Amino acid sequence: MLRAITLVNAIGINVYRRDELVHPWGGVAVVAAITVWSLVVSWVYADAVRRSVGWLVADGAVALGALAVTPLVKGADFDATIPGFWVMSALLAWAIRFRLWGGLGAALVIGVTDLLLRADLTMTNYGNVYLLLIGGPIVGFLCGSLQEMAVARDDAQRSAAAAAERARLARVVHDGVLQVLALVQRRGTELGGDAAELGRLAGEQERRLRTLIRAQDAVRDDRFGTGAVAGTLDLADALARLRVRAGVDVAVPGGSVDVPAEIGEEVVAVVGACLDNVARHVGEGAPAWVLLEAFPDRVEVSVRDEGPGIPTGRLEQAEAEGRLGVAQSIRGRVEDLGGTVTLSTGSCGTEWELTVPRVRERSTR
Amino acid sequence: MSEAGEQETPIRVMVVDDHPMWRDAVERDLQAAGLDVVAVAADGHQALARFPAARPQVVVLDLQIPGPNGVEVTQQVLRTDPGARVLILSASGEQDDVLEAVKAGATGYLVKSASRAELLDAVRRVARGDSVFTPGLAGLVLGEFRRLSDPATAGPATGDDDHPELTERETEVLKMVAKGMSYKQIAERLVLSHRTVQNHVQNTLRKLQMHNRVELTRYAIERGLDED
Repeated sequence: MLRAITLVNAIGINVYRRDELVHPWGGVAVVAAITVWSLVVSWVYADAVRRSVGWLVADGAVALGALAVTPLVKGADFDATIPGFWVMSALLAWAIRFRLWGGLGAALVIGVTDLLLRADLTMTNYGNVYLLLIGGPIVGFLCGSLQEMAVARDDAQRSAAAAAERARLARVVHDGVLQVLALVQRRGTELGGDAAELGRLAGEQERRLRTLIRAQDAVRDDRFGTGAVAGTLDLADALARLRVRAGVDVAVPGGSVDVPAEIGEEVVAVVGACLDNVARHVGEGAPAWVLLEAFPDRVEVSVRDEGPGIPTGRLEQAEAEGRLGVAQSIRGRVEDLGGTVTLSTGSCGTEWELTVPRVRERSTR
Repeated sequence: MSEAGEQETPIRVMVVDDHPMWRDAVERDLQAAGLDVVAVAADGHQALARFPAARPQVVVLDLQIPGPNGVEVTQQVLRTDPGARVLILSASGEQDDVLEAVKAGATGYLVKSASRAELLDAVRRVARGDSVFTPGLAGLVLGEFRRLSDPATAGPATGDDDHPELTERETEVLKMVAKGMSYKQIAERLVLSHRTVQNHVQNTLRKLQMHNRVELTRYAIERGLDED
């Protein structure tokens, strides 16, 4: 396009200044030559595959040649060169192809040639050459940056696509492994004996893998900007990881439950302490259930077991003896978060209910 | 089919699972227990193609299958035969797609590590029209109702007062299920009959499915109006 405009300009100028031509037919020949060359090179550059070094060198050579024949056609004392601004298109082609250094090099060669041909140097001539020298490298630099950005963008798109594909494959593989583990667990338990032990191990691994997958999903969601904000913790995800513990079942709402990280970590730690307590008093691997409920202003977590319950008076007794029992420690930690603890215990089991505000209260006490 | 014969007629089941090992194991277990496995399918396409001819009462469905996924199969199957029941059998644990399947009309959910006895029990209960919950699913459903009743998270589309609400009793029962209590334990604690507890649980599912249908219809209408 630029080439066409500068070509029209060159033809126009030469027609207008035809009286300057010493050899009019030579002038017509040169203008015809650059016109033909413009058409050829436009077709060549249209496809990236053809933009080879050879064509660019030829392009530069034609531009220089057109410059160089000017004194022969117009006489030594000419004002404008025959190709005029048309040389700019060759210069820009170099800048686009060879970036900063291509632009600078082409500008230097064309500029110097232009100056050498002239009998006397006017300010206008100097200005034109100066603009060539500035413009060439700048266009080259911009093209370089643009191409680098395009490459970086392509890379990012490729790696995102690769990550998504990896995640999809991982899901397929994981699903297969989970299926087998579940089957081993189920059959093993039915067969009994050594097989039951195998089944138990398979069950353990199944829970671990499930937790890993959930963690991996959380990481992926984060990366695509839909996950937690910095400084917050997805309590649903964090509590779901407690499923690795034998006998522990965790129920959470769908999606994420974001709370400030400090609150979330403390809640997870307290729930962990409750579960430790279950393991100690009811038995290792005893069934326990964790339920998380999210409200706009608070979260409620329940930890329930079906053990024999905490004997009446034991908590008070521990307190009277000056021992800070587990119950006290749990109560204290939740109250520090501005929350409350309800403990109900009886022959049908023990249940801790923790209510914790979702924002940290500035305690005035 | 006489009224009396209904009890003895074996439950007609279709098993959909892309894992041949699992499909065979489930099929064998069901047949050994005297159930009638009328069809099996390895993916969503097969399932939908074989369902109309096989007419099972219960579809035991793995959520992660190729072709139309479990949620879509649930939808299609129940559109073809609203009387059929879908029991989801999932290997990957409680995930959001389980909730989607339940919204689409599945009335039972079981993890694959459940024992054979649990599976048989679940199939029989689902065939009877009961709903089979795990604590994890109850937690998801409970969370969904909480989300819908919170104007901040429910979105502008549900700005009116038409979001489904659970009664206090239903919330109480669902919460107990989520805490791992059996229907029997809940019935004892709340001094209710087992049947009443079951009804409460079923109502929560019905409300959620109804809401889902309303939402889908509303969405379709909005889209239709936009096109004018």
